[in-house]
Order: sequence, then C-alpha cells, then structure tokens
Amino acid sequence: MTCFHFDIGSRARHAGRFIGRVRGELLRVLAEKKAKAGLPQQALAEKLGVKRSLINRQLSGEANLSLRSLADLAWAMDMEISFELKQPMARAGQNQPMTTSTVRHGQIKYINGGGKQVSVFAAPADPEPEQAKKSA
Amino acid sequence: MTTIEELVEANAISRIEVEMHPRDQTLRLLYGTPGFIAWLGELAKDSQPERRLGEATAAEQVDDLFNTFLSGMPLVYMRQFRSIRAEKNAIWELKTPDIRIFGWFLQKDCFVAVFGNWADEVKDHDLYRGYRIAIRRLRRELGVDETLCVQGVTPGDVLSL
Repeated sequence: MTCFHFDIGSRARHAGRFIGRVRGELLRVLAEKKAKAGLPQQALAEKLGVKRSLINRQLSGEANLSLRSLADLAWAMDMEISFELKQPMARAGQNQPMTTSTVRHGQIKYINGGGKQVSVFAAPADPEPEQAKKSA
Repeated sequence: MTTIEELVEANAISRIEVEMHPRDQTLRLLYGTPGFIAWLGELAKDSQPERRLGEATAAEQVDDLFNTFLSGMPLVYMRQFRSIRAEKNAIWELKTPDIRIFGWFLQKDCFVAVFGNWADEVKDHDLYRGYRIAIRRLRRELGVDETLCVQGVTPGDVLSL
C-alpha cells in the first residue's frame, strides 16, 4: 500500500499557503458581507473606482494582489488588516511532521518539487502480496 | 461490495498527503489514481511556471488547495470546488487559479482525483464533458459507480463545512 507525499519544498509551501490564506480571508469576508449586508463585488468595484472584473480576478487569484490593492479591498469592505510576523512556536501536544504513513505502516513516497529531482515511486510498501502471487 | 481499502490494495488509488502545520491534523482524505499521481509529479517539477496567472506557481496553488482540503478548512464553493453537473453520482472539480482537478467523492470528505490539467486547456478545449465521461467509465470499471460515490450535489453533501 503506497502513500504519496506531495512536497514542493518549504519555501514554496510557505509562499503558496500565505497567498492562499490572504485570498481565502478576503473571500470569506466578502461572502459574509454579501450575506449580511448585500455587498456584491460590483459595489466594491464602484467604491474603489475600478472594473468588477479586476476585483474578480484579484479575488480568484488570476491577477496579482499588491499590498495597495489588499489595503483598498479591506477599506472598501470596512475591515481592518491585522499583520504580524512571529517566531514559529513548538507547543505541547502539537503534531510532529510525519515520517511514516499510518496506512498499514506503509512507506511514504515523496513527490518532491523542492529540489531539482522529482521522484515518484509506485512500488507497494508491503511486498508480501506480490511475492505470494509469484509463488502461487 | 468494493471498499476503499480494496481499491488501495489493488493500486487503483493511492493516498495523497502534504506537509501540514504541526497544529493541524488530517480531517479529510485525498486519493489519486496512478495517472493523477504521475501528473502531480510532473507538476511538482514546476516545469511551466510562465503559465501561471497569479503570484503563486501552479504547484504552490495545488499544495495550498490540498492543505486546505486535508486540514478540514472551509473551501469556497464555486471558487475552489464545484460539481460539473448537478446529477446523481456527480463528478466534482477542485479549482485553483491555474489548475483544475477532476474526480469524485468516495464518501463525504473523501475525494479521489483522476485528472489534473491547466485551467486554460480545460476551458479552451471544453474538456469537462470528456473528463466526466472518462471518470464515469472508470468508476464502472472499478465497480464503484453506486457504492462508493456521494449521491448529493450540494456542497454540504461532499464536505463538512
């Protein structure tokens, strides 16, 4: 039984997830505002004096989101931005990065984009069934 | 009746994981077919970064999507996931700005990815119908068309939101 670990490297992971978190937060607040106050993207666009398609592309991730446009969007939605850099903290009870699979103790195979090499292994972690077939 | 474990043992599908934050734990399950795993390996090479639309590369977008999915965080309906067609045993699409991933939900919070492709290729060549038919055929071949497939088509049917 094989388990594949999609690993793009620490640097790319941090960047991608930060960008995703910012966009996700914008989408979440916009959805809330739309539900509660009926604030559609069109209203945001009119308030900011830009086309709705630009807002849509920024929120969908198809267009770059500069710090200026992030601040503008927060302003248009009447929200404050909280930003903080902090040291990663190890806390009691938190999980450890996995080194083995919990799926029948199978080996974890790495799809690694962090380095230059990409390794995809498809061999089953437990060779017994295959050997049994051959002996049969 | 076919089970998920039998599909995994037959190497029809394999579990996919990503590095998660130490505070997070896996609350959903993600599987991929051998073809999808191979595509994922190519994507991880990030061989075509010039095609990205936003700040994040395609591989970064997929990693973020998988992390969001696996850690049980909410996904935005239509922006990040949707059914291809509102029908029984629907085919679902996971979305990033640049990438589209097609598959189905074996159970609630348990997705199996079958095809991945660039969003512009999917849209330019209107590949939705082809992927839908191919995935339905695969499910018939695996014998899971009725048994291991979420029937509903609302977001709450497939994900704990």
